[in-house]
Amino acid sequence: MNYMALMAMTASAETQDLVTLVPWTFIIQIINLFIQVFLIKKFLFKPINDILDKRRNLADKEIKEAREAKTEADSLKEQYESSLTNAHAEAAQIVSDAQKEAQNKADTLVRDAQEEAAGIKARAAADIEQEKKKAINEAKDEISSLAMDIAGKVVEKEINEADHKKLIEDFINKVGA
Amino acid sequence: MSQSFEVDYAKIYWTIKTGIPILGDLKITETLIVSWIVMIIITGLCIFLTRDLRVENISKRQAFAEMLVEMGNNFVRNNTGGNKFDKLIPFVSALFATSVVSNLISLVGLRSPTADLSTEAAWAIVVFIMITSTKIKTNGFGGYLKGFTTPIAVMTPFNILSELATPVSMACRHFGNILSGVVIDGLIYWALGLASAALFGLIPGAVGKFLSNIPILGIGLPAVTGVYFDWFSGCMQAFIFCMLTVMYIANAAEEG
Repeated sequence: MNYMALMAMTASAETQDLVTLVPWTFIIQIINLFIQVFLIKKFLFKPINDILDKRRNLADKEIKEAREAKTEADSLKEQYESSLTNAHAEAAQIVSDAQKEAQNKADTLVRDAQEEAAGIKARAAADIEQEKKKAINEAKDEISSLAMDIAGKVVEKEINEADHKKLIEDFINKVGA
Repeated sequence: MSQSFEVDYAKIYWTIKTGIPILGDLKITETLIVSWIVMIIITGLCIFLTRDLRVENISKRQAFAEMLVEMGNNFVRNNTGGNKFDKLIPFVSALFATSVVSNLISLVGLRSPTADLSTEAAWAIVVFIMITSTKIKTNGFGGYLKGFTTPIAVMTPFNILSELATPVSMACRHFGNILSGVVIDGLIYWALGLASAALFGLIPGAVGKFLSNIPILGIGLPAVTGVYFDWFSGCMQAFIFCMLTVMYIANAAEEG
């Protein structure tokens, strides 16, 4: 009985045909569709696309930064390598300079020593020569005075002092030669 | 139990007299009410999914929302081959969401708005206007009109006919599938009701009379047939409608 009453109630509600085109429904559904497009755009696509963009930008930024860091590291490496090469060259230069200098110094020392030795030797030789000359001259004087004395005593004859001296020197020179 | 079968018609709740000649009275039907419910569901879901968005360390909810957006983007981009139609993405997504939710809302006992031809006709007309405007934008108005005379002038009536057939076929395909689901569901429930009435009517006395008024056999089988008629058909028709929308608009932009 209850069921029949329910049936009567639902039957009393007006219905539309099964296959029909209702103008107002049609228009309202078009409007509904556009409202839905707007809502879905505002509440789903905009926030999600914003967040996706943000994430993409973040990733891009990080990649960019990593790339920059790599470039920097590469340039630093190059710099270090070149400075290392320079250091090697410099060290080699320093060593060779030092060697050259040491060689020069040694050479100079040896040369100086040789020169000094030669100088000493030459001076000694000159001294010897001078001493020899001096001795010879002294001997000559001695001999000439001795000879004069002897001659004066032997010859007993007055001879001009100057002629006499000349004569004796000639003699001595002949003897010395 | 009624012995004759009645299809579930869309009810008219209120009639507002407008007095406008062609449009007639504004009738607030079940279709419109359920459409608004569908819109509230979709918008509520969008708002729920996009709450508390973060760039890193995202929640499952946000991952799902992002997946939906990516799906929409990929669907339009893959079928049009490029980013030229990115403006269509929200439209196609809204169309798809509305269609799917409208089709599936019959599962909770409401009458699908898509079981009313006015709904599909409205969508199809919008799509048709978009196709036509894309064609005019691509080829110019002269080019658009000239397009009807290809390949030869004799074909003009057929071309016009095929052009008009596009929205009609789109609307009727979707409507027919959903309506058939509604009719078949109704038939199955009616038949099972009759069967259980006949079966339990065999029990003598008051118990049999009481039980025969309850369609006990209606539990179970409709859930199985519903997998096809509601779930599969509902999702499939929404997909087909959106696919055709994108394809037609992409083709309209390519015609030279």
